Amino acid sequence: MPGKYKFKILLVAFITIIMFCNKIFAGTLSGNSFINTLALSGNLPVKELPSFFMLIPFVLLLVMIATGPLFYKHFWEKHYPKISIFLGLIIVVYYIFILENYYPLVHTLSEYISFIALLSSLFVASGGILIKVDRKSTPFANVIFLLFGAVISNIIGTTGASMLLIRPYLRMNKDRISPYHIIFFIFIVSNIGGALTPIGDPPLFLGFLSGVPFFWVIKNVWAIWFITILLILLAFYFFDLNNKKESTKHVEYSGKIHFKGLRNLFYLAIIVVSVFIDPQVITWVPSLYPLPFGIREIIMFSVVFFSYKTADMQVLKDNEFDFEPIKEVAYLFVGIFATMIPALQIIAEEAKVFGDKLSAGIFYWASGGLSAVLDNTPTYMNFLSAAMGKYSLNVANKAHVLKFVEVDDIYLKAISVAAVFFGAMTYIGNGPNFMVKSISERAGIIMPSFFNYIIRYSVIILLPIFTVIWLLFFTGRTIL
Amino acid sequence: MKSVEEAIENEAYGLYYGNRALLPFPCFLLKVIIDDEIIMDFSASSKAIIVNVFSDITEIYFKQYQNLKDAVSKFESIKLIVVEKDKDIFNFDNHIKIVLHVEDDHKLKIEKTDEDILFIE
Repeated sequence: MPGKYKFKILLVAFITIIMFCNKIFAGTLSGNSFINTLALSGNLPVKELPSFFMLIPFVLLLVMIATGPLFYKHFWEKHYPKISIFLGLIIVVYYIFILENYYPLVHTLSEYISFIALLSSLFVASGGILIKVDRKSTPFANVIFLLFGAVISNIIGTTGASMLLIRPYLRMNKDRISPYHIIFFIFIVSNIGGALTPIGDPPLFLGFLSGVPFFWVIKNVWAIWFITILLILLAFYFFDLNNKKESTKHVEYSGKIHFKGLRNLFYLAIIVVSVFIDPQVITWVPSLYPLPFGIREIIMFSVVFFSYKTADMQVLKDNEFDFEPIKEVAYLFVGIFATMIPALQIIAEEAKVFGDKLSAGIFYWASGGLSAVLDNTPTYMNFLSAAMGKYSLNVANKAHVLKFVEVDDIYLKAISVAAVFFGAMTYIGNGPNFMVKSISERAGIIMPSFFNYIIRYSVIILLPIFTVIWLLFFTGRTIL
Repeated sequence: MKSVEEAIENEAYGLYYGNRALLPFPCFLLKVIIDDEIIMDFSASSKAIIVNVFSDITEIYFKQYQNLKDAVSKFESIKLIVVEKDKDIFNFDNHIKIVLHVEDDHKLKIEKTDEDILFIE
């Protein structure tokens, strides 16, 4: 059976199962507000905590994602969709038949659809844009380029910025490219840059939907963002300064920037605006409950269709556009989203129990450490819930969230920063990381393995910088 | 015998049958990218590729794939860095970057990469 049919059949099968779950319990809920509250709170009704054994599929999937491309590449390439869906189905079956608790499944499906809608629409729309920067690559020019990427990722999201800028960045550096160029791009544009606005990264967007004011992030996090970006750019500058690669051919540069695919900029604007088309943000937007998606997701999937159908074929060809990277993300994250349900429930409960003993520093390291290997959105929501629990406030109540922000914002700062920043620690920490890796490999760049990425780059460069941020802002002795 | 440059100039097609590609010129291969796989081991023990260079064609088997049509999508291509059989392999000016587009009827369209296509040596 051709791969494309397998993909469709498996995806439809999984969605059908989840829809079935939705149907089972739809009648038991009092209405739309309940499901929205669930989605916002990250605090899923717990009938019974899952067994610790149910963490095995999640750990197994993470281990396979890490080791598959390294030790059994072709088996993994051929079978990862089946493995990911199978491990996810173990959890689905466990929740339906053993725990008889359907809420986390529907909540997770809804989050997964939103996640894929945003990622796929940004991926396809930016795939139809071709930017060429015809100028000599220098360390300083690269620093300016990465800084621009960090800023723009707050306007079109880290995924949009990554997809839009990775190809021009590779083209600009094609004569002296090394893996570190891509890794710093992942650090800055695909992750840390997007920490200033709720559009930048999904956890901040969910925080905004829960009641954190839109401009709270930029007002409170800008200093941390600025210091972190500055330190990483400094590290990059010294790496790049030592790059002695030269072009094998004499090349004349015009200094011009070429741009093709203006129509797709319009599609990107639609995606950014559609982020706000949510009944929680705009009251007149209709809810499509009990469907696990809303008008926003329909708009985003429509953008996928129309931006692909109307794209300039030559631009798609020049960008070597292919659905494979987004397909890979869709398959892997269907497994990750499903298998991490027990992990998140256990974390949420433990955080509540030990909430009083947890300092801002612990929130910073714990939410960061988990965001590096789990999806950062539910991690953010669970730790926010735990932090608010210290003040007997409920994350499902917008007034409580506002009060929490006013009373003591150091916890929210710690969680917001860590959830976004630590996504850069691994290839699986944030959606665009994998896509940037895949595009780079297709261009001929041999990228570091999962472990090499962590050991040679994340631990050496990011960890010391994150430690400095912790010492400056979250040790209880606030210096700045 | 056609040279690589002649074949490209005359818009000559290659052929593919399943995982076997036939190029209408003899050449040395330096680097091949198919899908996200970067192949640089062309030894007899390579797990990824078998290359046979004859007097007027180059035959390539992509061992990891059953059918090139399934491995390479509409806007993608197989990328190769090649050197004409009788040219100095150590002179970078002789390194030719070409792309193979997998088309219908077993045809492989051969083109030189333009500046827009990202292909890093």
